[in-house]
Amino acid sequence: MKKKVVAVLLVGAMAGTMLAGCGGDSKAADAGDDTKKEDTADTSDDSDEGSAEGKVTLNVTTTFAGTESNVDKYQETIENWQKETGNKINDSSASADEAMKARVITDFETGAEPDVMFYFNGNDSNPFVEADKVVSIDEIREKYPDYASNMNDDLIPASPVDGVKYAVPFYGYWEGMYVNKKVCEDAGVEIPGPDTTWEQFMETCQKIKDAGYTPIAASLIKEPHYWFEYSIFNHDTPATHVAVPEKVDDKVGKAWAEGIADIKDVYEKGFFTENTNTCEADEAFQGFLQDKAAFYVDGSWKMGGIRDNAENIDNFTVTFVPGQNERKTTDIISGLSSGWYISKKAWDDPEKQKAAVDLVEYFINTETVSDFAGTATTSLKDGAQIDESKLNSLEKDALTMLKSVTATSGACQDLCTEDQRAPIFTNMPQIVEGQMEINDAIQQVIDAMEE
Amino acid sequence: MNNTSNIYKNKKPAIFFLLPAFLFLILYLYYPFIQNIFNSFMKIKGLATPAKGFNDPVYKNYTRLFTDPNMRIALKNTLIMIIVTIVGQVGIAIIIALLVDNIKRGAKFFRIVYFFPIVISATALGLLFNLIFLYDKGMINQLLEFLGMTNLTDWKDEAHAIMTMMIPVTWQYVGFYFIILLTGLNNISDELYESASIDGATRFQRVRFISIPLLHNVICTCCVLAVTGALKVFDLPWMMFPNGMPYGKTWLTGTYMYYYAFVASDADYSSTIAIVIVVLGIILSKVVNVIFKEKDY
Repeated sequence: MKKKVVAVLLVGAMAGTMLAGCGGDSKAADAGDDTKKEDTADTSDDSDEGSAEGKVTLNVTTTFAGTESNVDKYQETIENWQKETGNKINDSSASADEAMKARVITDFETGAEPDVMFYFNGNDSNPFVEADKVVSIDEIREKYPDYASNMNDDLIPASPVDGVKYAVPFYGYWEGMYVNKKVCEDAGVEIPGPDTTWEQFMETCQKIKDAGYTPIAASLIKEPHYWFEYSIFNHDTPATHVAVPEKVDDKVGKAWAEGIADIKDVYEKGFFTENTNTCEADEAFQGFLQDKAAFYVDGSWKMGGIRDNAENIDNFTVTFVPGQNERKTTDIISGLSSGWYISKKAWDDPEKQKAAVDLVEYFINTETVSDFAGTATTSLKDGAQIDESKLNSLEKDALTMLKSVTATSGACQDLCTEDQRAPIFTNMPQIVEGQMEINDAIQQVIDAMEE
Repeated sequence: MNNTSNIYKNKKPAIFFLLPAFLFLILYLYYPFIQNIFNSFMKIKGLATPAKGFNDPVYKNYTRLFTDPNMRIALKNTLIMIIVTIVGQVGIAIIIALLVDNIKRGAKFFRIVYFFPIVISATALGLLFNLIFLYDKGMINQLLEFLGMTNLTDWKDEAHAIMTMMIPVTWQYVGFYFIILLTGLNNISDELYESASIDGATRFQRVRFISIPLLHNVICTCCVLAVTGALKVFDLPWMMFPNGMPYGKTWLTGTYMYYYAFVASDADYSSTIAIVIVVLGIILSKVVNVIFKEKDY
């Protein structure tokens, strides 16, 4: 009899434990909350007094990671915010590659989205905007009227989904071509400038290759983005660049096909990193830093990566990506493509709401924006204050370059979500190897966008 | 006497104990699996996004499986992985286990050494092997350079990719099977070995006629685990060869399923691939069981 009682008690305990676990899970899932809900529940008694001032844990995702320019500044800023407020941050920042974008979208789809996020405001944001999972700036201002009041609203990009503004821009970006001066000097070539044409650039690359160096450091398997953008830009204009093809043979479709064909041509000439189809992006970048490659096309966010990893920053400069056809060499890709979001989940949580707003405001105050922006554009009403005496030679070269810009355009790839452009980006090695037709890849992108 | 027999006849307590685990499995395994079968017929873009009705025709994903060249590559590579897993992981594990079982000193040390790779996360191992196989200044290429090779080898190119992917996977799990087999060897009675020694059996003969036959069932279990493990292996290959690189030549069923779920946002096709993995897992496990037929001793 005793044994039976013990058996029943044990079974009851096991079943109870299991159901308690299930109950906890389903409750969190139903509420669309992550485990932080429990964290805040645990601290609810304490936080009644201090509310946002203490003991709130925020999940934060940004693109401040890897060799991004402002990783140190970002980490210092969140450290300071945590000290000042007593709140905690669970930081899951990652380099802004396709894997990171896939992770963010999946997190939103599975109810594990961050509370605060610094993320792209183009079509990459469409899935979570469509799902109504982020709060608009106007809605935040209804409760916090001073929210982002130092920003010029006209410069805040709206969501492609509904024209509503959700993300507060931090600072903008430009894309250009970084140059390793030593490699150019050793190869006996001049550094490309505002007047360099595509044909001249190809000749320069050939000379660099003949001298035993890699002309262009790039990982086509991991980071085809920049070459994709500029190669297509070379076949349209700043006015027409931000568009996606509706048909393979329409004007935009032809520009895409010709641009991708240029990448294939550069690959076939052997100008890219030797193992461009298999190497990591950082591997290609290291080759550039270690005087093995002459050119590296990337965004303004790479300035810090070069500053922090190069032995001698004076050995590097930045210039325009050579143009052809109607695009002038001095026309560049630039914009305010990212911003600070607050998720609906954090907004609906009374304890997290104030902390989330506070964190974003901590980042977007004029002084911090100016500090992070450096040479990049901002949406500040009064503009960013740049102390040129504190700039290194690369940053000064960037400022000089930006003064010669004739026109700017956003990135056409921002019109596609990560999965829509995957047929081209994932298959770039197959495309340049001739294993996949360029038009087939473009057609797959069109099909994905139509779905 | 009667009480004792009642305990064995009365199965109710056993059912009570089994019930929680059974409910858990229904909730977190069988229900999602059945849902997954439904999903494979639906039109679903991203994970957790609502289905936009049924595919047209409903079996669209299943016909797509037969025409998808990457799926053929994934299946081919997975079959290679299964063979490599059985021969490489289980085979090497048998040899190492027999060797360790035959030494008197240091057996504990070798147990830890061979088991160690299991406790390292696949992500860390992926990064480690990425550095080992790195093109410029990777460990192997530096070693070859030191030995006089002038040209660098791209270990991730089309010619080497499969081998480069299989080596770390094999290396990682040898220790797992090693421990299982060593436990099996420890269960063999010493008296058998002593009797054989008295009869004049050499050490090799003892292994050949006592250890291996008595390990048969354990080897069979290891092979089933190896086959099903190879079908769903994902983490290490994805770290080293994401998106089937290079040129889509390194797809495995596990990585291909992940790609459609998380990168290409095609959850219904991903569900279809998941079903293929389960079906193949069941069939191949049966095949292994038939080949290795469990024996009673």
